[in-house]
Amino acid sequence: MVRLEAMVANGTRKQSINNKEDDMKFDFKKLALGVALGFTLLGGAAAVAQDAKHEIVTVVKLSGIAWFNRMEAGVAEYAEETGNNATQVGPASADAALQVQMIEDLIARNVNAITVVPNSPEALEPVLAKALEAGIKVVGHEASSLENVTYDVEAFDNAAYGVHLMEALAQDMGGEGEYAVFVGHLTAKTHNEWVDAAIAYQKEKYPKMTLVGGKIESNEQQQTAYQKTKELLRTYPNLKGIQGSAGEDVVGAALAVEEAGLTGKVTIVGTSLVSVAGPYLETGEIKMISFWDPAKAGIAMNKVAAMAIEGKEVTDGMDLGVEGYNSVKLDGKVIYGQAWVDVTKDNMDEYDF
Amino acid sequence: MATSQDNEGRVLEMRSIRKAYGPVRVLENVDLTLDRGEVRCLAGENGSGKSTLIKILSGVVTADAGSVSFAGRTLGADPVAAIDAGLSVIYQDFSLFPNLTVWENISFLSAVNRGDFVHRRLSRRGRAIETLKRMQVEIDPDMPVELLPVASKQLVAIARALANDARVIVMDEPTTALTRSEVAHLMEIVGALKKDGVAFLFVSHKIEEVFAVCDSITVLRDGRVVVEGPIGEFDSARLVEAMTGRSIDSQRLPREDMAEQTPFLVARGLGRRGEYADVDLELRPGEIVSVVGLLGSGRTELALSLFGYLAPDAGVLEVAGRPVSFRGQNDAMDAGIAYVPEDRLTEGLFLSQPIRDNIVVSTLDKNTRGFAINAKGLTQRAAAAVKRLRIKTPGVMPAVATLSGGNQQRVVLARWMERSPKLMILNGPTVGVDVGSKREIHELLVSLSRSGTAVMVVTDDISEAIALSDRILVMVRGRITGSFDARSVDEETLYEEVIKEDRA
Amino acid sequence: MSSVSRILATPQGVVFLTALLFALVLSLLNPAFFTPATLIDLLRNSLVTGIFALGVMMVLASGGIDVSCTAIGAFAMYATMKIILGIDFDMPIIGYFLLSAAIGAGLGLLNGILIGGLGLPTLIVTLGTLSLYRGALLTFLGTTYITAVPRKVITFARSVLVRMENAVGQMVSLPYSFLVLLFVAIGVAVLMNFTMFGRKIYAIGGSEEAAARIGIRIRRVKVLIYVIAGAIAGLAGMTHLTLSRMANPFDLVGMELNVIAAVVLGGARITGGHGTVVGTLLGVFVITMINTTLLMAGVPSYWQKFVIGCLIVVGTGLPILIDRFARHRERISRPIGA
Repeated sequence: MVRLEAMVANGTRKQSINNKEDDMKFDFKKLALGVALGFTLLGGAAAVAQDAKHEIVTVVKLSGIAWFNRMEAGVAEYAEETGNNATQVGPASADAALQVQMIEDLIARNVNAITVVPNSPEALEPVLAKALEAGIKVVGHEASSLENVTYDVEAFDNAAYGVHLMEALAQDMGGEGEYAVFVGHLTAKTHNEWVDAAIAYQKEKYPKMTLVGGKIESNEQQQTAYQKTKELLRTYPNLKGIQGSAGEDVVGAALAVEEAGLTGKVTIVGTSLVSVAGPYLETGEIKMISFWDPAKAGIAMNKVAAMAIEGKEVTDGMDLGVEGYNSVKLDGKVIYGQAWVDVTKDNMDEYDF
Repeated sequence: MATSQDNEGRVLEMRSIRKAYGPVRVLENVDLTLDRGEVRCLAGENGSGKSTLIKILSGVVTADAGSVSFAGRTLGADPVAAIDAGLSVIYQDFSLFPNLTVWENISFLSAVNRGDFVHRRLSRRGRAIETLKRMQVEIDPDMPVELLPVASKQLVAIARALANDARVIVMDEPTTALTRSEVAHLMEIVGALKKDGVAFLFVSHKIEEVFAVCDSITVLRDGRVVVEGPIGEFDSARLVEAMTGRSIDSQRLPREDMAEQTPFLVARGLGRRGEYADVDLELRPGEIVSVVGLLGSGRTELALSLFGYLAPDAGVLEVAGRPVSFRGQNDAMDAGIAYVPEDRLTEGLFLSQPIRDNIVVSTLDKNTRGFAINAKGLTQRAAAAVKRLRIKTPGVMPAVATLSGGNQQRVVLARWMERSPKLMILNGPTVGVDVGSKREIHELLVSLSRSGTAVMVVTDDISEAIALSDRILVMVRGRITGSFDARSVDEETLYEEVIKEDRA
Repeated sequence: MSSVSRILATPQGVVFLTALLFALVLSLLNPAFFTPATLIDLLRNSLVTGIFALGVMMVLASGGIDVSCTAIGAFAMYATMKIILGIDFDMPIIGYFLLSAAIGAGLGLLNGILIGGLGLPTLIVTLGTLSLYRGALLTFLGTTYITAVPRKVITFARSVLVRMENAVGQMVSLPYSFLVLLFVAIGVAVLMNFTMFGRKIYAIGGSEEAAARIGIRIRRVKVLIYVIAGAIAGLAGMTHLTLSRMANPFDLVGMELNVIAAVVLGGARITGGHGTVVGTLLGVFVITMINTTLLMAGVPSYWQKFVIGCLIVVGTGLPILIDRFARHRERISRPIGA
């Protein structure tokens, strides 16, 4: 998941602008003026700032990259809709220590709630504990292991996501034939959870399909995925489907399939972004890619934070009123949605990241 | 010869060359000329300034004063211009390209000199073969130079000079590594080229060769021309006298005589294939033995064998009355033998480390208790050594690199003396050391020996051997050919012995 | 020396034998191995490594080493793509390659100035610039994949010289970028063998001091070597871009040791003075073959590294040991007493 964001990192021009904003905020951190100023620059939603009911700040891993720009748009949308003072900040480099510093500042400013996408969950535990002590609500994202949170919002349950991808693959393969799966690294927890669930689902639901080659490692590199796909095709000439995990997997596989003249004969689905897999979606080597929309995640986090401030509880099966989070699953403090987004040739124009 | 009116045939003229490195005067008002077809010998001992003079001649080093002109044209310090004017220097290492073929090596100089862009293989190869033919030598032109024997490399280097139409060829110790018949062949070639008008400057101190081939001689000593003239004015005695002179370091150091003691190390019939053979040797406490020989005589290999670094193939070695067979230098060190290498800079010292650490590095255990090193003890010991060896330094902590050559050599000595060795072997202990320091190092070694250490010095410096030793062994082509009492031998006798290689 | 030990006495010999052995084992395991399709596939996979290796071979021949080549390649190709997308100027695909080569040459010039001009140690300088160029690329040019490459690149990538079916009926093809390798190989071969500049490179690699003594202007030659090696790296980067049809700034860096391994296996020596175009290409081919065939056999990638490591140690070590043994025997055979 981390990798997915790194992929959409977007150069430094934007980062340095955000950096300046951050500096400004630190200078005036206790002044309403400063907050308002920072807010103006950030969200362009200054109109709703003055009569804000709750102050909710989202701390992201890294500012300026496409992924979190998208999340910021969601936060801004939420602020406009609800009138709450919701903003987003993030360090110029993906550094846990910088996040700790930002959260310290937010505690000092006594905001109502902090939502956070941590670079390193473990490193944030102490400062988040301090925030909870100070009566600030904390909502995490992409960090189901966090202890010191009020809630943690996850876009989806990893197993459910894996099953979802397999369903798409199996549908296109007609429920039979040989397929292969890629993971970024054999040690990558998330990727393995997706793939394990997918394989288990296939064995149960589509017994005519066979997995070949075991779990194949791409090292999250397009070149490796390409090479290994070529070898796969040679070794298993009847290969019908490929499921990718890292964002590069499907792209490398697609290139190999195209070069071998097998476009249309091998189905490729997997996790990726339009900005990465776009050309092959267009030409048809890649059937479908999935990801989750950070804007929606941003809104969901803020909604959960507002509920927590207002003392409302989140319950299993609840509708958060955000697409993909209409029937959430509650596991302890962790809230799971079904917020994956499927992109095919037909709807790829809607996503610019 | 020293006049310049005869400009027609004069190909090289060096006038009033002066050069100093810091306070050390290396060359003082040196004049040197060469005429067409002349073969001149530049003679002088190590450190007399020969190599600096050649560097100035070839434009690598700038003279402080004086002028160098080729065929009437005065040149500045520019190696390329010197080559262009027809000068070729054949260095002791030949400066060939080992990875390239014979013909390419031969043609390279002229191709570079002409500023060619295209590498014209065929015509260059043809010309190289022609040059070899002109010299009447048979060498496979397509052989990589690294596979050639030394003598052939020498010839290739000459061919390279000729292929560039060299008019002055400087040869630095050209025969050191050659056999007698190879030398004879070389001399024939020199003789033939001389007839074509090529002038040679021969740097050599092998008397026989000098008389066999040279027309005139210039002798350098301590940076000055001590004598110069046609060969007819010299005989070998006069030449040797001119070269050695009566300089400070050739005087024998005073010492008390010691009663002869039982040998610490004895070698009987020691031999190593291709390097030395039948060496009998006794090294006693309280005695300094010098092994004198030319480069390649096997002296260094012998020393390294005694230190356990090379394994002898034949003979026996006894230390303190017991036969030993060293598996490596650690065995020898454990037996109480120390070795000060030829090149202290690359083999002996940690230049960037403090003097103290260099002195105590091999004896750290003296100040170690358990796992803890007593730094204060180390410093005291190093300070004592610095005082004892009169190393000129403000303290023991500056890096060794800040010291002069002579003082660096003393640091190496200090390190070994800290081990209190029973036998100390020194290879070229005063190479690159100035005259004053040389004397002091000699004094140190004498006092070391009088305190009961056996000392063996390997050197090619005859005056050093006489100044320093009690006994002198001469090594020629891998064999000990003579043994002399240093009190009674004179330099001339010793010199004759050292260079008589082909009579052995 | 027997003929086998004579072959084993050169790195190329060891490499060649290993390659033969590999091919033999593989063809036993899979009879489909010895087909033109396999050859074409190997060639296609060798392209980028091959182009890099030719530049590195030049540097090694001069007695230097260049580990920064991949960073130069990555920088050049990414910068080229940024520039072309930025100025929206229509130029033929060869212009892309020339631009990339020019950027590479510029970065190579910095290497050259530091190494030739200032006389700094070549490994340290290129290690430094490897990091420098990569850091500059990721910091100032960006970290995003560029997948929206111009149509021309895709068209170029899709045009093939040879296209054929392999044993299982899939297409294998040799893309046009093979011509880049061919061009660089011929260019380097001509430069190294038929110009004085090339011969000076070997001379400097053989003995720098000797080269200086005969009046070769070493600094000038060295600067030029790194400029040319940089330009070649730029071409390699652009070739990689057309093959992968996207500009990924994270790519290429990490290949440099593989490239150097290929060059060394091809007979160039780290100590300088040796190296040929044919040998280098052979080395590249062997490395690619090992990588691909082990992959084919389902061997994990760690094992490929292991095998290549063994090959380097044996390929460079065995000739030295054989030489040392021969010397020892030669000395022993001489009579005592010289």
